[in-house]
Amino acid sequence: MTSIGKALRYAARRRDLIISYGLALILLIVSGLITSTGLQPNRILTIFGQNAPLGVAAIGQTFVLLSGGLDLSVGAVINLSNVIVSEVMDGQNGRIPLAVVVTLLVAALVGLINGVLVAKAKLNPLLTTLAVGTVVQGVYFAYTGGQPTGSIAPAFRVVSNGRIGDFLPWSFVAWLLLWAVTAFLLYRTVFGRRFYAVGANEKAAWISGISSSWYIVSAYVASAVCAGLAGLLLSSYIGRASIGVGDPYTLISIAAVVIGGTAFTGGVGGLAGTFAGVVVMVFIATILSTLNIPTAAQFVTQGIVIASMMLLYNRIGHGR
Amino acid sequence: MSGSTLHNLRATVPIWAFTALLILVAALLSPPFRTLTNVTALLSLAAPLIIVATGQAVAILMAGIDLSVGSVMSLATALAASYATFGGGALVNTILILVVGAAIGTLNGLGVIAGVHPLIMTLSTYIAVRGLALFVLPSPGGEVSGGLLQFVTLQVGVVPVFFIVAVAMAVVVWYATAESTWGRKLYAVGSNASNAEKSGINRKAVILVGFIVSGLLASVAGLALVSRLYSGDPLAGDPYTLNSITAVVLGGVALTGGRGSIIGVLSGALLLSSIGDVLNMFGVSSAYQFIATGLTLIVALYVYNVGVFRRDRSAISALLNKGGVG
Repeated sequence: MTSIGKALRYAARRRDLIISYGLALILLIVSGLITSTGLQPNRILTIFGQNAPLGVAAIGQTFVLLSGGLDLSVGAVINLSNVIVSEVMDGQNGRIPLAVVVTLLVAALVGLINGVLVAKAKLNPLLTTLAVGTVVQGVYFAYTGGQPTGSIAPAFRVVSNGRIGDFLPWSFVAWLLLWAVTAFLLYRTVFGRRFYAVGANEKAAWISGISSSWYIVSAYVASAVCAGLAGLLLSSYIGRASIGVGDPYTLISIAAVVIGGTAFTGGVGGLAGTFAGVVVMVFIATILSTLNIPTAAQFVTQGIVIASMMLLYNRIGHGR
Repeated sequence: MSGSTLHNLRATVPIWAFTALLILVAALLSPPFRTLTNVTALLSLAAPLIIVATGQAVAILMAGIDLSVGSVMSLATALAASYATFGGGALVNTILILVVGAAIGTLNGLGVIAGVHPLIMTLSTYIAVRGLALFVLPSPGGEVSGGLLQFVTLQVGVVPVFFIVAVAMAVVVWYATAESTWGRKLYAVGSNASNAEKSGINRKAVILVGFIVSGLLASVAGLALVSRLYSGDPLAGDPYTLNSITAVVLGGVALTGGRGSIIGVLSGALLLSSIGDVLNMFGVSSAYQFIATGLTLIVALYVYNVGVFRRDRSAISALLNKGGVG
């Protein structure tokens, strides 16, 4: 009981959370009203399962935004993960552990490079992650010659088409679990406290004895590993390597995080809002495609929603 | 010319020297590079980048950034390729394209003034304008009006007319930023917005005008792109968001705002275009071109950063010397 009361008081302080969860709920209901299948749990759970890659990528992006940066290499890392996991797995169930480990290690390496360049060499995060993303893009193009090979093993595809007790999609469970673990880390541990301190004021945190730059490096590694995981989930869905599948995730993950109330300036916001932000982005897309609205209008709507939400947050004085 | 202008110009000497060196080496090593055909190709490759990077530099000088430029360029080519629907004639069509560019810039400016972070504001317009471009022209192609096509493909000898337009625009914007009162205000807002406001500068007006310039120049850059495509393409401008920012950084403009010169950006754009042209010349596959572009940007960031640190260190040692035993 007390913890519920605490959560409610927290939400009342964070009006951005009320707004983002409210919008998420409205969009979810609207998406049910416009189809004959309506709000059947099965349909909703399928949508959540299919969009687990975005949910996972947005978790990593949240850490980077909280640290006062931005990760524009997410899409490239998802593509890289997709290419490597198909290549190494090569359709064999026995190679799943190896493929997963190799993919996540490579992703972590990209994150480490991003993090060291940003936190240690003090380069601008926007451009560094763009540049590293471009290099990664070149690497997988050079490696595959534009025609990736291999495929996803049948047992690994269960992640996308299997359901626990014929109800909960595995991919949704994976997203929720990762969210729970990272949220615990962020909200309930010393690491999390220090992480917020570094994001809010790197220098002050450093002066008070926190090795700021390593916290920032860890954010980029977390983001790249999350992008790697998102790539694994996405691969499980499509069953093969397909260059470019990750591209939209860079911008949409940032959009989801900022709609969830995390500020660009660092240290403000968190994973609580990101979950709502992802739901908002997912159900806008669901509603528009259910209504057969052309992709062109979907882009326009997304842009307008992001800008309006930011204007709204500014009006309520959030993030300043 | 004022002292600070000269100071800013002197800072662009290394980047000009590097650009000249690269072009010289490429010309010495590769016979096809030094042909007149390639000169035309290089200059027409550089024209849209110079124009869009000039606008981007204005946004970055005032400590903003404009991610929407790539989509604005795409939209400009899409509108040009659907002139029958949008304008009917070459002149009306062109005016419409410029007005649309300025309008998107206005929107960006108003959003930023209202307190939205420039990155997220221009990211929103980047996504929305991309949608508009796809709405106007769903797939590459279309028909550009004869009059516009005739103008944009004009050449003076081997020099494409749009290269001359591009350099002229860069010089005009450089002069305005370096010597006019507006330019002073732009640098002031970029170095320290709240100090600028306290000293009586209308920060909002400066920001609004800055984004309008950036949007307007992006639409002109879109026209320059038409001169290479001969048609429209709703995604053709996409790479220019990253490339314009890279050119600005290569040109020595600080991303934190308030420092750098458009003349450096002109050189940065030429350098980036030359690298692209040289890699094409030597038949380097696009995969390695991605790697080269990314590494160039990282190295440029690093070099400029080390430069900044060196200044800091000399400031510290000056302080130490002052208080020292000497």
